[in-house]
Amino acid sequence: MSFRSSVTIVASPRPRVGKTLLARLLIDFHVLEGRSVAAFDLNSGEGRLAQFFPERTTASAIGDIKGQMALFDRLIAADDTTKIVDLGHESFESFFKLAGQIGFAEEARRRGIAPAVLFVLTPDRTSVEAYRSLCERVPQATLAPVHNEILGPTQYRGKYDLIGGGAVVVRLPVLAPGLRKYIETPPFSFADSKLAAKLDVPIDINMELQRWLRRVFLEFRELDLRILLADLQSSIRL
Amino acid sequence: MARPAVILVGADKGGVGKTTIARTLLDYFGAHNTPTRAFDTESPRGTLKRFHPGVTEVVDVTSIPDQMKIFDTLGSAEAKVTVIDVRAGLLSSTLQALSDIGFIESAKKGQITFAVFHILGPSIASLEEIAETARFVGDASYFLVKNHINDTSFFEWDPATYNSYFKQIKGAEEITIPKLNEMACEQVEVASVPYVSFVANKNGKGEPANFSFVLRGYVRHWLGQVWGEFDRVKLTDLVAPKIEKEKNVRQAAG
Repeated sequence: MSFRSSVTIVASPRPRVGKTLLARLLIDFHVLEGRSVAAFDLNSGEGRLAQFFPERTTASAIGDIKGQMALFDRLIAADDTTKIVDLGHESFESFFKLAGQIGFAEEARRRGIAPAVLFVLTPDRTSVEAYRSLCERVPQATLAPVHNEILGPTQYRGKYDLIGGGAVVVRLPVLAPGLRKYIETPPFSFADSKLAAKLDVPIDINMELQRWLRRVFLEFRELDLRILLADLQSSIRL
Repeated sequence: MARPAVILVGADKGGVGKTTIARTLLDYFGAHNTPTRAFDTESPRGTLKRFHPGVTEVVDVTSIPDQMKIFDTLGSAEAKVTVIDVRAGLLSSTLQALSDIGFIESAKKGQITFAVFHILGPSIASLEEIAETARFVGDASYFLVKNHINDTSFFEWDPATYNSYFKQIKGAEEITIPKLNEMACEQVEVASVPYVSFVANKNGKGEPANFSFVLRGYVRHWLGQVWGEFDRVKLTDLVAPKIEKEKNVRQAAG
């Protein structure tokens, strides 16, 4: 039995580590896999995710209980939708504190929704502590550490105690510098190759981009399998 | 066999949350598989009965027939624990009545386990009542409950005054009930179900309900803290020494 849907939270207590890019890639990955996808943006400010996915994105805030209900009740709704949460660094602490308190990951599992956290590894102390706290707060979620290679080669070695299901690091390879301006300008979609042609992306750039995407999506496919495996394991245990 | 236990939940004024505490107690004993019955003295309305209709009876604790109904059945009733939600202002007079009928005497002799949950409001006025009730309770287990469930501010008591009252009762223990989010609180009121049912997403008839997951989560977390307090004061040891304690809110909620 495969999981019906998953909730993936892209998180880091640090700003500017590539969370929104990861969230965008994930959304497009799941769209290409033929799933229905909803995204939730917990970044205060410009609503970057909504610029790329105006129809899929819900701007969320969990400062008050209404916002908490709007977000979490939706995340665990059994509507066969894959959900991606782009968790802004300023909401990291409050989100996982609340998630732990109300038993978010347990409830998701009980409803056949696989919870996962993509955690962008950075070498600072805050992140190392935050990662450790996640292992305790949401033990039922699949914790997937991510190495965003654009941040440099030494983001986690010797600093993180990568345990359990999170032992495998998801790699986000470096994108050639000349390509960034294309993907950072909305509208842009990794899922829609026709859009690239429409936006006058030069053919060689587009080929490079597709090559990069294949590597990213390969990582995501492996991640998906791991989430599926964790889901199976937990259903056997239950 | 465990001897019967009577738990009196009272306060000197209304609106401090007696019924809330009585409800958490009923849930707690339910989770520990301890047969429990309850008497609601808020006749004729009976708030407690609204939440726990199956085990609750509305009585007038000052009337003799109702006293008989409660206390003459202690040994014979199936329920091992009797929770009495005493109406505001009746705590002292109820204790007086209990003393008159010799109930407090038999508690002293160890035939009955007797515990008092004295719910404190956020003002100093209710502390003066402690002095008055203190002379009745004797060997009862006495719990002073600071109820923060609806609080917006902390208790504004002078610690010296508080301690001087607190010390009047030998072996009194303090229980702190933490705050519960207003909306969560309100939704449980509206649903009129026990807290455990709300957490388990079930309505009064035990059918699946559609309560907000976030609100259920808040209630679950809060109830866990309340039960943690009950565990801390070893409430289950008091009513029945051999009870399996491995249960938690989630298991109880099923």
